[in-house]
Amino acid sequence: MKIPAASTRIAEYSLAIDTSAGTSVAVLSMGKALAELNYLEPMTHSERIGSAIQDVLTQANLKPNQISLVVAGVGPGPYTGLRVGLAAARYFSIGSGAKLVGVCSLDAIALDYYSTNTSAQELLVSTDARRKEVFWATYSGVLDGMPVRTHGPAVNKYEDIGSIVGINSFTQTDIGVRAGSLGQIAFAQDLAGLSTSSEVNPIYLREPDAVPSKGKKVSG
Amino acid sequence: MKVDIRQSTLLDLPEIMKLENSSFANDAWPEATFHSELEAPHTYYIVALVADEIVGYAGLSKLAGSNQADIQTIAVRLDQRGAGIGRALMNALTAHAIKLGATEIFLEVRADNTIAQKLYKVFGFKQIGTRKKYYQPDGVDAFIMKTDVKAAIKAEPVVLGIETSCDETGVGIVRGNQLLANIISSSMDKHAIFGGVVPEIAARAHLEALTPVLEEALEKAKLTLDQIDAIAVTNGPGLAGALMVGVGAAKALSVATGKPIYAVNHLVGHVGADILDRGELQTPTIALLVSGGHTSLLLVRDLLDDVVLLGETIDDAAGEAFDKVARVLGLSYPGGPEIDRVAKDGNPTAIRFPRGLSLPKDMADHRYDFSFSGLKTAVARHVELAESKGEEYSIADVAASFREAVVDVLIKKAISACNDFEVPRLLLGGGVVANSRLREVAKEQCEKAGIELRIPSFSLCTDNGAMIAALGAQLIMAGRAPSSLAFSAESTLPVTTVQS
Repeated sequence: MKIPAASTRIAEYSLAIDTSAGTSVAVLSMGKALAELNYLEPMTHSERIGSAIQDVLTQANLKPNQISLVVAGVGPGPYTGLRVGLAAARYFSIGSGAKLVGVCSLDAIALDYYSTNTSAQELLVSTDARRKEVFWATYSGVLDGMPVRTHGPAVNKYEDIGSIVGINSFTQTDIGVRAGSLGQIAFAQDLAGLSTSSEVNPIYLREPDAVPSKGKKVSG
Repeated sequence: MKVDIRQSTLLDLPEIMKLENSSFANDAWPEATFHSELEAPHTYYIVALVADEIVGYAGLSKLAGSNQADIQTIAVRLDQRGAGIGRALMNALTAHAIKLGATEIFLEVRADNTIAQKLYKVFGFKQIGTRKKYYQPDGVDAFIMKTDVKAAIKAEPVVLGIETSCDETGVGIVRGNQLLANIISSSMDKHAIFGGVVPEIAARAHLEALTPVLEEALEKAKLTLDQIDAIAVTNGPGLAGALMVGVGAAKALSVATGKPIYAVNHLVGHVGADILDRGELQTPTIALLVSGGHTSLLLVRDLLDDVVLLGETIDDAAGEAFDKVARVLGLSYPGGPEIDRVAKDGNPTAIRFPRGLSLPKDMADHRYDFSFSGLKTAVARHVELAESKGEEYSIADVAASFREAVVDVLIKKAISACNDFEVPRLLLGGGVVANSRLREVAKEQCEKAGIELRIPSFSLCTDNGAMIAALGAQLIMAGRAPSSLAFSAESTLPVTTVQS
């Protein structure tokens, strides 16, 4: 991995936030996590998010205005929780003056898997999407610190993935999303000069669950 | 001359050191000391810039949990002195100290620096002691000075309010009781084809609107985030998924800017809106809040301490009834304005639709409660019956008669609350207040009963961030402590919880 010349930046600190599953927040220096907090419970994002950000900053002994990059996990994941992290990332970036980038949350899981399993093989990362479907993506390995995504992210019935990808046996993992890994990917993207999209929007993959009103019969 | 004040970063260090060495010839801090001062989490350093050049700096130290702050240093370049830069720096530091909860600020100053002492006295600093020969090698004494800032709690805090409880994303900014900005982005159009608010669509729209609405509000108020004293946010009641967007954003903004956060009640915010229109809220007042999500009757003896829910709808909200009846009549969404438009040409007494919970038997248990579900069904039956018989019916008459039934119940119950509790005023709030007939009847009936009627301007009646900011400002001016960062979004938050 290349390291940029020290003169380009005095300190490259980033804050990574992911609420696609639980609430995970990390502070990184040059792509290395200084502090990370993971709340695994799935329903408490809006309660946890504020103090989680404050706590990782305190643990890393950093002030908010020292953060120059905010990395948001853009999912896919259950929408209500996912939005809390994105809303927080947007307003933290405005409040601190830091740049905002988005990283697919499933990528963080892939990176963590390959960090301990170096042999390159087709990896399927899937998370529960309810309604008997999964959010999923497949990966072939890691290049320059970034997981190489071969399919997805998408939402499908689990049993349909094989035919979509054209492979029937995958390596799988049950690792959770860690904000530190998201931040690591964003740092690698930065080094590689890959401009992450400026629009940081959640990956929903489904339209809102609502049916246009049809008839006017109300009284039954 | 334009002076910009901003928080300093390590990038400013070389410039600051130049100024430090020229300002404090014999007792300048070494660069390493300054470096660690700038980096420490308990310090706050600012620089003053003229034409993008650093001409002054100042620093504050305030440990979390302590009520004391220290002014660490302040310097202005020789050729820029006497232009008010020192005062601007002091202003920013003391304001920040107050924000962090300091009630006392201390500093040390050279006994022979009378110019600096004069500046400090302007800010209420008084000498409380002397450190003999503190400044070396010159052997000059230090005066220890202190100011008590408790009395200086900002009389008119600048508060930014965030509202996302239903289908309106609102960011408003107030200074004390004065409105500075009120920006609202509505997702109403996106709900139109569904005939009502779809929570998931509303929540998606909130996330999209957050950034532009905040930017526009700051621009309208001609303020930067540095100039905001506190953040207020609606944490309930409302749609859970929608509330969480605002709560997540507000908390992160609070942490990023270091500004305190106030989690406030949406319905009490509606009552507080009147402050922005008339500069104060007169209490006691009965408040009738009518929207697509709420129909509530409140007794407000004190905005912050004594709000009682007298009654509310037991089924549909009034605005929801308008939407549903509009659909029955083949009118578009939102139903309120459409029914209002069509009803203009109708006869309000053509059909006697039921007045929910108004019969003597209901009044015992539901004196101040509302019910619109039966009314909506009665309208639908009327229309379906006419259609099944192939009879013509007047949409205008149905709309006018339906509207009359809704307005009749709303105003009757509100006026009787005023009479029962001997409260001489009625305040209206919520989006349905836009309804022309509601305003008309309220005016008539209040005049008849000798009750003062207050209807804030429409942009303050509908869901908005300014009313949330106004309520936050009231809490601050009353000396209330900020909310802890751990509060949650509560879809059924009771009106008795003004601040979470």
